[in-house]
Amino acid sequence: MSFIDLKGILQPLGALKQLGKKPHTIQFPAESIEASDNYRGLHFNDLDDCIGCGNCSTICPNEAIDMIDLLNIKEKKGDSSLRPRIDNGRCCWCALCVDVCPTGSLSLTKDYIFVTEDPNDFLWTPGIDNKDAADKISYTSDVSTSISMYDRVPMRELEGKERVKSFAEVVLGYSEEEARAEAQRCISCGLCVEVCPENMHIPEYINAIAQAKDKDALRIIYDNNPLPEMCGKVCTRLCEDVCAMQVRGDAVAIRWLKRYATETAPTVELIKEIVDPQIEEPNGFSVGIVGAGPAGLTAAYYLALKGYDVTIYEAQAHAGGMIMYGIPKYRFPLESIDKQIQYMESIGVKIKYNTKVGKDISFKEIYNNNDAVFVGIGLQIPWNIGIKNEDSPGVIPAIDYLTIINSDGKFDVGKKVAVIGGGNVAIDGARVAARYGADVTILYRRRVEDMPADWEEIEGAEHEGVKIVPQAIPTKIIRNKEGKVKGVEYVMAKMVAQDGGRPRPVAIEGSETIYECDTVIGAIGQQADFDWLPENYKEKVIIERGKIQVNNLRQTGDNKIFAGGDAVKFGNSDAISAIADGFNAVKGIDKLLLNK
Amino acid sequence: MTELIKEQHLLDSLTSAFKIKGRVIRDRRVEVFADKKMVSGILLFAKKQLGFIHLAHMTCIDWIDENKFELIYTIWSPIEKIHLFVKTKIERENPEMENIDSIWDQANTYEREIREMFGIQFPGLIGEQDFALEDWDEMPPMRKDFDTKKYALETYYQRPGREDAKDVRETISERSGTKVPDFAKKYSREK
Amino acid sequence: MIREKETTLYLGPQHPGITGNMMVKLKVQGDTVVKATTHVGYLHRAFEKLIEQRNWLNAFTLLCRFCVPEPDPMELTYARAVEELDNREVPERAQYIRVIVMELARLQSFMLWYAGQAGSAGLYTLGQWSVGDRNYILDLFEELTGGRIYHMYIWPGGVRRDVTDTWKDKVLKTMDYLEKRQDDYNQLMFDNTIFQKRAKGVGIVPKDKAIEWGVVGPPLRGVGIKSDVRIDEPYEVYDKLDFEVPTAEGGDIWARALVRKEEFRQSISIIRQAIEKMPKGDYYNKVPNPMKWVVPEGQAWAKTESVRGEIGFYVVSNGTNKPYRVHAKGAAYTHGVTVLEKILPGQNIADISFIMNSLGVCPPEIER
Repeated sequence: MSFIDLKGILQPLGALKQLGKKPHTIQFPAESIEASDNYRGLHFNDLDDCIGCGNCSTICPNEAIDMIDLLNIKEKKGDSSLRPRIDNGRCCWCALCVDVCPTGSLSLTKDYIFVTEDPNDFLWTPGIDNKDAADKISYTSDVSTSISMYDRVPMRELEGKERVKSFAEVVLGYSEEEARAEAQRCISCGLCVEVCPENMHIPEYINAIAQAKDKDALRIIYDNNPLPEMCGKVCTRLCEDVCAMQVRGDAVAIRWLKRYATETAPTVELIKEIVDPQIEEPNGFSVGIVGAGPAGLTAAYYLALKGYDVTIYEAQAHAGGMIMYGIPKYRFPLESIDKQIQYMESIGVKIKYNTKVGKDISFKEIYNNNDAVFVGIGLQIPWNIGIKNEDSPGVIPAIDYLTIINSDGKFDVGKKVAVIGGGNVAIDGARVAARYGADVTILYRRRVEDMPADWEEIEGAEHEGVKIVPQAIPTKIIRNKEGKVKGVEYVMAKMVAQDGGRPRPVAIEGSETIYECDTVIGAIGQQADFDWLPENYKEKVIIERGKIQVNNLRQTGDNKIFAGGDAVKFGNSDAISAIADGFNAVKGIDKLLLNK
Repeated sequence: MTELIKEQHLLDSLTSAFKIKGRVIRDRRVEVFADKKMVSGILLFAKKQLGFIHLAHMTCIDWIDENKFELIYTIWSPIEKIHLFVKTKIERENPEMENIDSIWDQANTYEREIREMFGIQFPGLIGEQDFALEDWDEMPPMRKDFDTKKYALETYYQRPGREDAKDVRETISERSGTKVPDFAKKYSREK
Repeated sequence: MIREKETTLYLGPQHPGITGNMMVKLKVQGDTVVKATTHVGYLHRAFEKLIEQRNWLNAFTLLCRFCVPEPDPMELTYARAVEELDNREVPERAQYIRVIVMELARLQSFMLWYAGQAGSAGLYTLGQWSVGDRNYILDLFEELTGGRIYHMYIWPGGVRRDVTDTWKDKVLKTMDYLEKRQDDYNQLMFDNTIFQKRAKGVGIVPKDKAIEWGVVGPPLRGVGIKSDVRIDEPYEVYDKLDFEVPTAEGGDIWARALVRKEEFRQSISIIRQAIEKMPKGDYYNKVPNPMKWVVPEGQAWAKTESVRGEIGFYVVSNGTNKPYRVHAKGAAYTHGVTVLEKILPGQNIADISFIMNSLGVCPPEIER
């Protein structure tokens, strides 16, 4: 290379040709570039879609997100009424908060210019402080791009054709691996806790399962629910209705996870070893309990733990109440009930079977011999369907039918069965009849989506060949020559919208149809039987429209008498509400006797 | 596993030369566990005899529950195209490890970093005491018992204005009037 | 020549021609370096410690900040190490997308290199051009990932968002443009006497010592050794793509520049192939809820080829929802400390930033 390299000096001058070209830069502020459609700029939050689960705040790697009480958010179930506030001084715009938002309410916008002299201004609440950003939303997450786990681990079940052959349990339960995977989906927000009548510690026990600490999970469950095996199988699981995952996907299978936790302790000894119940010294007080249903058993369990002398008086030969007699064994096997009862007895709960209060023992005796009484009698008398010829042989209330079958009795339903009603009891009746080889049809006044029964139950019934005729109002029972049931006549209904309520079925004239059948099972609800209660107590206890009136502590008008379960007007008529009644009555009895 | 002949062969030549245990992790990955006194010998042998001329990485792990530090030397043979991990565990009290920067010069940088971050001494190591930190008189910060958050809260000014933050789980508990039992609290949502 | 006495000179800690704060303490005689001692520590942010306190996914918000000009290889290397621990398959489409992102990241980094290398030789025009054109690649990143510099896009299991056909078209158009533009760059750089005279014979890495010293990437290829992680230990779908690993002889700045010039072309070619071959399908193998995602116990080492050479991550899990230890090593870790200290003596002070740039020294990566 010579000292003067002419080519090497002239070549770079070629750059001069660029002089004539249009520059790539823009003139600011005359021109501006809009950010891309996927841009990660400042946050925006749709306050109505947001449920305040706080998942954004949990994942934020910079602790830039606080959940704050905005006060103007209306309190409702499944919403903590807290909303995220971002510290933009900490945010790194990684958008993980958007990608984990279960509802998709949180997003990032195309706005990226934010200038202030006061560092305190960096704290602001998206959706409130930048309302106008709603039309600049860019980075969002939908079900496919979100990293929330929206799909439930499917539950293994017996095939529909297999099921109708026996009363074997239909749901097979999660394997360990499945349970871990399902538990991992939970984001531990705890919105579910509030709607659970018993306020179970749901996020905690699910997290314990996710971390493979099944024993801790069971201990947490027994902290305020002594019948988890039953809840794990047949709970109405109101919790799953408000699960954060349910907004855009499947709710976490809270019930099945509880069931999984109980399955890790298959014997009474194991339950006792894991739960390690701490029984206090006898405190000298005794409590009598009428009815060994979920409410009575719960009250008995926690009273016994606290050192009370507890005796339950049960009219039937088995404890469990409606869960023993009203729930078919393919949903809740006998061994499960027995195990739970044995566990209760092992910690000191006494149960007197075949002892009907008012017949085998007087209520007065119980009242006088105990320091407090808890009444958990449930509902036993079925409502009438209210149509002509209802008293014909071949018409049977579902609850009677289930009780007969569950007591190992026999009731021949014949070849064709009509079930009237749309609740869980109706479905239970239908599925039991199907197991005896009957061709079953359910007649329901409203649409299928209006049925109060669990969707899983409805689906299960359909898989087992049960037919559902919605919008069918029964009008009368048709009898044969002997006066026995021959069929049921019904009219079709149209749904008429009404203000402030669900649509009402209105009969369509001339649509009368006859469904021929051998048996009609009525399942339109039950009422409580108060014949056993002497008049002088009835007056003090206060019974209104068939339900006992109680306060928060489940105390009746007679301050020594507490009550709970379906016979009480408090919450829903389901087992978990009954458990909550029993649990709260213990607090009431504590307050009454120990002034705690 | 027939397809891992090369890797198995390497392991065999190392275990026949030294009294050490090891395993083939997968293709291109072999690890051996050695006593701390043997590490420099193994490294030198691997470098001079087996063609592992490149020190790809060197790291330290604080196994606080075991009360040990683990040192991992990752070396690479450009001919065989295999990574060999030489791993050793040393005591956590007064930790000391042989200096290998005479085998690979760049080990000097790794050792200075490990000395500063974990407090492991390498006798004879030349280089300034400070590497990435300056005037640091706390515990070596990469040790597991050094609490970064506590240090930050104590050392730096915390701007006020975020005290009204609430916990979702606690808010729900309060609203429903229940309490999470103490033994269950460790399973509540991480904050 | 007047014999001058030895003086001490501190170079830095402002950016001495490179991306990041670093100081080199020099003993000089006249303007010749006698001894060089490196000082890092101006950019230590304790990322590795912070990662240990966050969940497995959170880590990638910090990873990309290890090295500003090259955020993506960090994300990829970490993701691959975690995938190995978790036995997690990555869908093939995601692998192609990752390759495209990696090569785009290389291109934008090459352009910063053009700017830095030319700028430290006083050729400022080229810097304006290449940094201006780099914005076209950043535009592509913005459209794909939502961010321009820090993408936080590659994560364990795949990538965060799918690519669209319009994006692919835009990429191809940008590639055509850059291919043409590179000729303009080269005219200003390689055909330029000033650059030639500055680069040739300066900052020589000796061939026989290169591997032992821990030299990787273009500086290693600049001494004639064909070494590239994409060939030596192919990852993602690099083994299904056809590309050359260029080498040059001499080990000086000129040789390294020649290697990078050719690699720029190769990256464009790889992107075109990857776009053509990309299959349909999933782009992400969803990991469980990140707050509860537990990675099985174990240790994994993954390495990736970045513009400056091999980047390695050593990731340790103790079977919880947080990494137990993450240790990263980039090319700068050796280039910026021991290699630099070895080759600086005898060089001219004015060449120091020129050499540092050529070696790919990135201080934030050294101390993380």
